Amino acid sequence: MCVGLPAKIVKMKNGTAVVDATGARREISTELLSDLEPGDYVMVHAGIAIAKITADDEAETEELLDMLEG
Amino acid sequence: MDQNMETNVRRSALDIIRGYDGPPVRIMEVCGTHTHAIFEQGIRGILPENIHLISGPGCPVCVTETGFIDEAVCLALEKNAVIATFGDLVRVPGTEMNLAGVRARGGDVKIVYSPLDAVELAKENPERQVVFLSVGFETTVPASCLAVKRAKESGLKNFTLLTANKTMDEAYRALRGSADAFLYPGHVSAITGMRIYRELREEGISGVVCGFTASEILTAIAMIILRLGKGTAFAENAYPRVVAEEGTPIGRALIEEVMEPCDAVWRGIGKIPGSGLCLRKPEYAEFDARLRFGIPEMHGRPNPACRCGDVLMGRIKPKECPIFGKVCTPEHPVGACMVSSEGTCSAYYKYDMLS
Amino acid sequence: MRGPLQAGSGKETMDNMITLAHGAGGKQTSELIGGLFKKYFDNEYLTADDAAVLPAPQGRIAMSTDGFIVSPYKFPGGNAGKLSICGTVNDLACMGARPLYLTCAFVVEEGFPVPQLEKLAASMAETAKEAGVKIVAGDTKVAGRGQVDGVFITTTAVGEILPGAELSGAYAKPGDKIIVTGDVGRHGATILLARDAFGIEADVTSDCAPLWETVRSMLAATKNIHVIRDATRGGVGTVLYEIASESHVGIRLDRASVPVDPAVSGVCGMLGLEPLYLACEGRMVVFAPADQAEILLDVLRKGKYSENAAIIGEVIDSMPGRVTVRTPIGAETLLPPPGGELLPRIC
Repeated sequence: MCVGLPAKIVKMKNGTAVVDATGARREISTELLSDLEPGDYVMVHAGIAIAKITADDEAETEELLDMLEG
Repeated sequence: MDQNMETNVRRSALDIIRGYDGPPVRIMEVCGTHTHAIFEQGIRGILPENIHLISGPGCPVCVTETGFIDEAVCLALEKNAVIATFGDLVRVPGTEMNLAGVRARGGDVKIVYSPLDAVELAKENPERQVVFLSVGFETTVPASCLAVKRAKESGLKNFTLLTANKTMDEAYRALRGSADAFLYPGHVSAITGMRIYRELREEGISGVVCGFTASEILTAIAMIILRLGKGTAFAENAYPRVVAEEGTPIGRALIEEVMEPCDAVWRGIGKIPGSGLCLRKPEYAEFDARLRFGIPEMHGRPNPACRCGDVLMGRIKPKECPIFGKVCTPEHPVGACMVSSEGTCSAYYKYDMLS
Repeated sequence: MRGPLQAGSGKETMDNMITLAHGAGGKQTSELIGGLFKKYFDNEYLTADDAAVLPAPQGRIAMSTDGFIVSPYKFPGGNAGKLSICGTVNDLACMGARPLYLTCAFVVEEGFPVPQLEKLAASMAETAKEAGVKIVAGDTKVAGRGQVDGVFITTTAVGEILPGAELSGAYAKPGDKIIVTGDVGRHGATILLARDAFGIEADVTSDCAPLWETVRSMLAATKNIHVIRDATRGGVGTVLYEIASESHVGIRLDRASVPVDPAVSGVCGMLGLEPLYLACEGRMVVFAPADQAEILLDVLRKGKYSENAAIIGEVIDSMPGRVTVRTPIGAETLLPPPGGELLPRIC
């Protein structure tokens, strides 16, 4: 129901940030999240960062399967 | 990450799925973006016959009532408001016309990427009333709330929301029994966190929070297969890189501050008490388009032959609807499930002609 | 909301704006034609007579026409003038025709800045020169403010078909490889960004280019090519569906082989768009027998506008009219057929 795009924070200012998704940049709101800094990755939806991202999907799925089958 | 390792990960999830030889399993993806991704990646084609994916009601465009579009049409053509909307809503049929029709009749319909852009539009055009069509679930609601707060801080008198926002919690309960397990929506969960799923587990409802890449979807399906074998209800998070246990507390607090629960009518499901969100009164009532413009209550008249409702509930496949692919096509959609690119009928029409 | 002439310099005075008088056929009209268009388009066939008188080429000719109403009329990598030459010349090139003569008709909005019109004319002249086509006749009309958006240009061109070139959208055959001459979706993404509607920035320039030389070099290497079609507003995806239908064949695409600039991918990701359906204005989709594909790739990768050429799929004898996609996980799915206006989606 919600298209999300992972993007990297380039710079931050007063609750907003410029994010970069493989070369496409846009200003978004970071008001939902605390403790962000440039270089962090966030999930962007409708112009706001909805979550900080902690890994890539391959590392994630590998870990999950190890856990399940281990 | 090198290419080989990537392939290994996928293969192990796929091995679990392909090796499944138990009784038939019904898995419902409630999120339209999942429906879209599942088709786009061709995932149905690599599942064994005993694993069925059912598409549920998680596309905000699809569950939005015809009357909501009628309200927007009225605002644009009779109240001369500028309608700011996500592109998804432009072709959704109202009783008489859709928003593309409004544009053709000279009405102002602006497509925006974010509700925050609609606030900027209002600032740039102080002589016009700008109404943002606020649809969406927990993921999208915070953006609408931020927009309203910004408008309030700026003292804007020409910005309002026409709300049709919904929350998923009660919908899962309404859908109980439609499937053996849910693929829970990853980005809704990013806001809500895992608590609701633990509650549902206590009520005997199972599911796994799922991401949107092919390997994330396959992994979540593999987890469901493994967990169903154990016989007890479960609530797992297969999208931990994005979804934290506690979700996004600031986002939830923001929703709480700006919106309040109300009853909502879901196309096809009917009224689910407490499953909608409206602007909190009296604090944010001035940003409610229905109050600002005094639009009459509208009850849209959807096409009676359309069986979107049964499709949304997973009761029938789109092909079982008498007008699917004949009268109702993506070019001339009758029901909302055909309009939205993540609508079940649209996805089946576009992708499922292979079989 | 904002005026239709937003891309103008904002410093126009009555003296350097197009007025209705420029289209009335009198003194101002001749000044405009003599001082502006003639200056840039000058060649031996462009005269003051009512029609151009031209030597007829030997053999078969190809002829095509196209209207251009791009908004905004200038964008990174090109403008409406360059586009109006490329579009029509590329249509000829698709038939294996060397472009010879071109006519153009302008409909200019009252108030349009003359210096901007001059820039468009200069781009047309430059592009025509590169494509080897002569602008032999033209027409200018002025429409009242608001009746058109800036400037509309229609061009018509004639070319001579190279002996031995037998190209048609109906000639694709099972076993053919499908080549795209460069990365997809640039023009569409550029225009989206230039309209500044979604607040997104990216270093993307239009692929807008005249492709006769590209086609000539392919035909010089081999005449054994079945289809060449330029991907324009409907993007590469639309071309694939057209050819599948016209040739009654199936098409299987390999998703991972489709070249897409990362920034175009980023824009598409933000707006939920499919790059295969974003417009291109300098890309050909080529269908040729498998044993010719590498020969063509070699030639293309040496070309100015086709360094990123790639084989993206093949023609199959099942599922006529359909385009299927092999996804990175090895599954097969349908490329959604083209459908109407591209709308960004968020949900």
